[in-house]
Amino acid sequence: MLNRDVSKWTTPKKIMFYTAVIILLLVELFPIFVVISTSFKPAKAVFDSNPFAFFNPTLKNYKEVLFERDFINNLINSVFIALMTSIISVSLGSLAAYSLSRFDFKGKKSIGLGILISRMIPPITLSVPLFILMRKIGILDTHLVLILSHISFILPFIIWMILPFFKGVSKAYEEAALIDGCSRMQSFIRVFIPLVAPGLVVSGIFSFVYSWNDFLYALVLAGSKVQTVPIAVSGFIGQFGPKWGAMTASGTLALIPTFIFALALQKYIISGLSVGGID
Amino acid sequence: MSKLPKKTRETSLKKKSLWFKNKITPYGFLSPALLILAGVLLFPLIYSFFLSFHEWNMASGEAMKFSFLDNYIKLFKSESFWHSIKLQLIFVGASVSIELIIGLAVAIFLNKDFFADKLVRALLLLPAFILPVVSGLAFRFMYNPQYGAINWFIKKLGFAPIPFLSHPKLAFLAIVIQDIWRMWPFMFMILYASISTFPKAPYEAAKISGANRWQIFRYITLPLLKPSIVIAVILRVLNALKAFSEIYVMTNGGPGNATTILSLFIYKNAFDFYDMGFSAGVSYILVIIALIFSVFLVKKQFDF
Repeated sequence: MLNRDVSKWTTPKKIMFYTAVIILLLVELFPIFVVISTSFKPAKAVFDSNPFAFFNPTLKNYKEVLFERDFINNLINSVFIALMTSIISVSLGSLAAYSLSRFDFKGKKSIGLGILISRMIPPITLSVPLFILMRKIGILDTHLVLILSHISFILPFIIWMILPFFKGVSKAYEEAALIDGCSRMQSFIRVFIPLVAPGLVVSGIFSFVYSWNDFLYALVLAGSKVQTVPIAVSGFIGQFGPKWGAMTASGTLALIPTFIFALALQKYIISGLSVGGID
Repeated sequence: MSKLPKKTRETSLKKKSLWFKNKITPYGFLSPALLILAGVLLFPLIYSFFLSFHEWNMASGEAMKFSFLDNYIKLFKSESFWHSIKLQLIFVGASVSIELIIGLAVAIFLNKDFFADKLVRALLLLPAFILPVVSGLAFRFMYNPQYGAINWFIKKLGFAPIPFLSHPKLAFLAIVIQDIWRMWPFMFMILYASISTFPKAPYEAAKISGANRWQIFRYITLPLLKPSIVIAVILRVLNALKAFSEIYVMTNGGPGNATTILSLFIYKNAFDFYDMGFSAGVSYILVIIALIFSVFLVKKQFDF
């Protein structure tokens, strides 16, 4: 604990430490390595159990996924649904967070807690009534139904994630705007939005990834006409003759946005995680 | 002279309207979010509660029938329900506690300045962001006795390949291993965030008074870390209660019902058997379990 600077350690200790770090990384990243390497394997090599065996890398699996299957459509569906969900959740969420952070009013505490606790409800619980209700309205298997169902778990999360950003804005800015004759709405748009913009971007990306990763609602509420990426990925592993090459290729493509997000937003991830964990 | 009172009256009117405006504004800003949540969250939840008091098989084409507590009586008498509860509790307990131990050990181990330390931490966190479906399928691939990578290692060690997913107990172990692999980095990240900000003074004092490593861990690190541990564990428990897709694609609850945790039990009853009232009842049991943990979390972490 006292000697936290490894560069000042003795050489044998250094070697031991770095060896342990490398082993930890190798073990932990192994399944991801398997997915990515399998995606470049020719059909025969896929069924070679040795994960380190040499093979001639090929793009055949990607070609199959992108050009012979409907995967491009699945990507478009997922991007569209995730974008709409993020835009709606962030806009409504920031309005709500503004209200919760700047006003004192009756019922504030119970509304805030209700929103927070609703985040903890397992989605499988909502899937049953949502399926019945959306079937009655007649919007099963549409983009809209997935956007609505994603909002149900993303919006509460967004409100809590943006709240600290709004609380961090000094009251003086807002008072100045109000004295200058701005209405509350004007002060929200002109003063708050620019100041909390980083928070809005980060929570927008969080909601994009949550929507992107959703499998349950995509399975229950849609799945035949409107297929999203996770449904398509699992679709390659049917009951007969699992297509691991295609599955890993589409899986690798599905991982790209989430991994970019995870590596780029390291700083914000902890605050996001501590509001609601990961799905 | 009649001017003055008029003016005062005007200001008081203005004040009154401003007061009214200030009363109504916060609700105005909240209402779009609350309206949509009422539609997609609150109403479905209430409807599901209503549903749980009805007997309704959607596939039969018959109308919903009020049955009061029948669904709840049925589920408390159902062996497969208790089996799912048991699996759910073991799943949550085993995975979260092992994730805590690994996460804590790695957080202490990596709490140093070293070459590429930020990159190492970022890479370790990647599994937590992998799509659950991809994770589940990747493990299903690696568990395969003929061509799976995990079984390649087992064969290299000189053992016979293990058919993980076709043996009830092993299949359950397999889904727990998958969860541990994916989620211990989450524990690690939350604990590391806390541990890296600890003050140095108590450690220096302990070293001067000759405390050994275990004593330092037991009497300094652990007490300082306790609040973060509590939060991380509750968050992970709530998260593990939501587990569905990775298990659905790995085993679909099988073999038999060896990995049918509550979410899969609900899914099967609702979307394989269309027994909507019964599955609404089961899902309320799950909600109650989740709410108990949420209340702890709310009390620990959040305040206005």
